[in-house]
Amino acid sequence: MISLLDVSYVRLGTRDLGGAARFAVDYLGLQVSEHRKGTVCFKSDAREHTLCYFEGNPADQAVAFEVRDKDDLDMAASELERLGHAVRGGTEGEAAARHVKGFIAFKDPSGNGIELVYRPEHSGKRYHSSRDAGVTGFSHVGLCSSDVIRDEQFWTNVCNARVSDRIGDAPLLRLDEVHHSIALFPSDRNGIQHINHQVETGDDVMRSYHFLKERGVPITFGPGRHPSSSARFLYFEGPDGMVFEYSSGVKSIADELLYRERQFPFEPKGFCYWGAKPQIRQFRE
Amino acid sequence: MITIDQLRYVRLGTRDLPAAVDFGERVLGLQLVDRTDRAAYFRSDMRDHTLVFFLGEPTEKAVGFEIHSRAQFEATIAELSQHGIEAVVGSEQGCAARKVRALASFRDPGGNTIELVLRPLHSGWRYFPARDAGIVGLTGVALRSRDVPACEALWTTLFNGRVSDWVGEAAFLRFDQAHHRLAYHPSAGRGILAIEFGVENVDLLMQNNYFLQSAQVKIVHGPGRRPTSNQMFLTFAGPDETLFSFVTEGDDIADEATHRPRQFPRTRSSFCAWGSESDVPEFC
Repeated sequence: MISLLDVSYVRLGTRDLGGAARFAVDYLGLQVSEHRKGTVCFKSDAREHTLCYFEGNPADQAVAFEVRDKDDLDMAASELERLGHAVRGGTEGEAAARHVKGFIAFKDPSGNGIELVYRPEHSGKRYHSSRDAGVTGFSHVGLCSSDVIRDEQFWTNVCNARVSDRIGDAPLLRLDEVHHSIALFPSDRNGIQHINHQVETGDDVMRSYHFLKERGVPITFGPGRHPSSSARFLYFEGPDGMVFEYSSGVKSIADELLYRERQFPFEPKGFCYWGAKPQIRQFRE
Repeated sequence: MITIDQLRYVRLGTRDLPAAVDFGERVLGLQLVDRTDRAAYFRSDMRDHTLVFFLGEPTEKAVGFEIHSRAQFEATIAELSQHGIEAVVGSEQGCAARKVRALASFRDPGGNTIELVLRPLHSGWRYFPARDAGIVGLTGVALRSRDVPACEALWTTLFNGRVSDWVGEAAFLRFDQAHHRLAYHPSAGRGILAIEFGVENVDLLMQNNYFLQSAQVKIVHGPGRRPTSNQMFLTFAGPDETLFSFVTEGDDIADEATHRPRQFPRTRSSFCAWGSESDVPEFC
């Protein structure tokens, strides 16, 4: 079994690097960690970087997960190849650009770009943003899936994720005690479905709601509260239509032995118990 | 000095009683406890009633406060009179209509009608709402005044009110540990600006937010958080343009000895720490 420790970073291609970088700094509240030709990387917490925009096709995306060491990485590569996933080892140059010791790249069963990394860099400098968004760090991703039942099997059997709850057939998967690090949603396309950053408090969610609304950023869901994770949330649209989420108060699942996942309806009330209605395609029937 | 025991009720005159009753039940979700063809009485907590709509002019509004003993009650009337404020002793019918033992009403320097009552009725039965709005009770009233300093002086010198904070000239007055029971806002008009009902927690506040949106009730401010009281709030329009607020998580001021009232500037951000906007002139 491939042991994933945590979600590490997201890489997104874009045709408008300047615009994407401005959104990340001025609206998302991230901090530029590195600015190279054709790439801008951002910090949101103590890690060296958690988001990278690079000049390219917006469909060119990857989510990276951390594994323990080179042995785990090599074992994962063999396992994935044995199952029929093409695995590409990252070059030294590519690894250096990602600030990791080494990585492999493959596609999940729905065709989403995944990287497994080991020894991702931490930063000596603290995260400090230019806007008081209260961001505490990059926390999880939603992924589009062409078959959530098949993909749940991949993430829970081939990898070590556990189902924390389901909304319809969409599983919310945890890698550690945080309610979810990966969420899979049925879709007719693949790609990253949303990118979540945690914020300090519910007040920060509400402040960002007013801040973003005033600036004409499309609010696509919320402010609301998830019945599954109990987190207070806000979803909004960024560059290239990518959905970003702020949330606060995600619950922990510590009891691996006794915890049982719950079934929520695939309706607005399964996504929010305040009464908000999603304008996000993958959250609607 | 006269001790106010507690905020007791709000009385609102209206020409359209059925519409007001519908608002009280459907929108506020309060419990209708008494209905005549002239008045409707609503409960929000263990008190017999806290909101009354009666057939009359929308300008006829009153806020009721409880005074403790008969002796204090008589002393109050005398003190007000000494300060040039005429307190009208309520008739038997007036008392019966308010379900109190004694009643004295006067106008504050802003022209708002204040009613002081003795032995208002309590209810033995649990509050049972018309909808699950999570209301825990009537918690405060905001008034308009053309002379806020004079109103502030009245409540802090004749009565046991204390200023908790100011926003510009607007004063938030407490009579117990709650940040405020009465707030005065400088205004060209007079009368009740907003009536505050506490709700259980943020979840109920936000559920009410989406409920009111879907019921097409006009939300005029919020959801937001007041930097003064730390209350989360949601303010919306009721009958005759009276505003109502749902509030939750307000600060208690427990240490009377050390609390010093703070002066906030008269700006939008002093009324909401989340950034919500309002067209209500008193809130911007």
